[in-house]
Amino acid sequence: MKIEGKYKFPASQEQIWDLFMDQKNLEKAIPGCEKMEEREPGKYDVLLKIGIAAIKGTYTGKIEVVDPEPPNRYRLLGEGSGSPGFVKGEATIELSQEGQHTIVSYQGDMQVGGLIAGIGQRMIGGIAKMMAGQFFKKMAKELKSQQ
Amino acid sequence: MKPSAFEYFTASTVAEAISLLERYEDEAKIIAGGQSLVPMMNFRVAQPEVLIDINGIKELDYIRQEDDEIVIGALTRERDLELSPLVQEKCPILAEAISLIGHASIRTRGTIGGSLVHADPAAEIPLTIYGLDAKMKVVGPSGERTLEPEEFFLSYLTTSLEPLEILVEVRIPVLPQKTGWSFVELTRRRGDFYIVAVASILFMEKGGVCKEARICLGGVGPTSIRAEEAEEILAGQVITDELIEKAGQKAAEAADPESDYHASAEYRRDMTRVFVQRGLAEARNRAKGG
Amino acid sequence: MAERRRITVKVNGVEYGREVDPKRLLVDFLRDDLELIGTHVGCEHGFCGACTVLLNGRSIRSCLMFAVQADGAEIMTVEGLAEDGKLHPLQEAFQEHHALQCGFCTPGMLIVTYELLKDNPDPTEEEVRLAVAGVLCRCTGYKQIIDAVIAAAPKMRGG
Repeated sequence: MKIEGKYKFPASQEQIWDLFMDQKNLEKAIPGCEKMEEREPGKYDVLLKIGIAAIKGTYTGKIEVVDPEPPNRYRLLGEGSGSPGFVKGEATIELSQEGQHTIVSYQGDMQVGGLIAGIGQRMIGGIAKMMAGQFFKKMAKELKSQQ
Repeated sequence: MKPSAFEYFTASTVAEAISLLERYEDEAKIIAGGQSLVPMMNFRVAQPEVLIDINGIKELDYIRQEDDEIVIGALTRERDLELSPLVQEKCPILAEAISLIGHASIRTRGTIGGSLVHADPAAEIPLTIYGLDAKMKVVGPSGERTLEPEEFFLSYLTTSLEPLEILVEVRIPVLPQKTGWSFVELTRRRGDFYIVAVASILFMEKGGVCKEARICLGGVGPTSIRAEEAEEILAGQVITDELIEKAGQKAAEAADPESDYHASAEYRRDMTRVFVQRGLAEARNRAKGG
Repeated sequence: MAERRRITVKVNGVEYGREVDPKRLLVDFLRDDLELIGTHVGCEHGFCGACTVLLNGRSIRSCLMFAVQADGAEIMTVEGLAEDGKLHPLQEAFQEHHALQCGFCTPGMLIVTYELLKDNPDPTEEEVRLAVAGVLCRCTGYKQIIDAVIAAAPKMRGG
């Protein structure tokens, strides 16, 4: 399943790059993130607790930053599994400048399997996009608090 | 598959249900009609440790008229609403929308409250009440509050109901006579969740002029939405084919659909236009007494 | 672990008392505990309609309800149609019109159309189609089923 979107931040591209590479910010902004530990540079173990309606679950997973080209682009690999099923995906994140702003756009592909895939088919794309939206909003908040 | 094990409690009053929620909080899930919850439990997507059955709360099962409102208890079965002479006469769009939920044997169990709190983005009741000035009464440990659809629905399967709150009642203003209305939906098969659905209501005044229009779109975002700019095109006008054409185009612009397994975003947007136009034409005919 | 509960249900006129696990689906209770295997389990998520039974006179999907929830209820399954070993007129019509082939959906078809004819003794073809829309048949197609229901209607009216 393809997902994509973009978000605009009122800061320079370098600032936004640093924002997105900082583990502390990610930990705060990733929806449902309970714990995030750096195993080696750019590789993290995460524990997510996600509950939408009756579908509650704890996921353990890995996030990895690959091929970073500061401050323009990087790739993000992620996978997680928990009692409701598994999620696996990769995305390319691109930063570009527009006046005083930086546009962060993502383009990704994700696979969902196990129990959630069976019943959530209709909504998974939308829910993924909603969670991406929550993530960017929180990142924007972090940016503001640091400015 | 079969559901995983759970503790089972029955509540016979709202207060009992809330105290059970307080006791078990996160682990508990309320079951009403169970027509969405039980499939999820059978798939083990949902594995609540505690189930609080509210089917025994008889005080939440009623349909009555109070002044200019139809007042419906949250536990009222969809089938009872669909067949209610009061609902058919005073709020026919609701009866029609409900008749399109699943199949009769689903509606026998499914409740209005269950459909609302489940907040499926492709459900008929949540869509229809966007156009009806409906108010949802919820009760929790610290008292009750009343919410409008825009406050109640937050996103996919997500409402503003607090973990210890229960929806107890829905109040819907009676539609004036000669109100034009229509509920149309695009589904692959009868009874499926819709791809796109449109609920239209035309409040009329003398001389065949539309005083106010409501156009509600479903299946094109995380919650149902009102196509307000399209509604404005019709307000204060005698509704012509040209205006319907324009309103359909405007409504399609308001839609923000996702692509999924069943339909692409482009298709959903274009069907929004088509179904708004179709729905408005039907609503106009009904307003004329047709 | 979840406590078992004692329930009493009346099925096809016979009262049964049993202890059940809360997670026991009504359809499994009917089939495995009461050994009324006429009701079929298909999809287990309310989609196929094979498990349809009447609960207090109205059709429901017995895979979408727990047996504990049926405590005190009256249930009619497909076994409740025939009387004293004689097929119900609706069943006879199904037989005459070849309205079943593999028979998997048949209990669901019979219950929903029985309910229809009870509420609406003289349905149009459209109304019959609507009633059976909620039960999936993968072999005969629906034509013979609809023919059978329409043929059964006057016989049921005539008593």
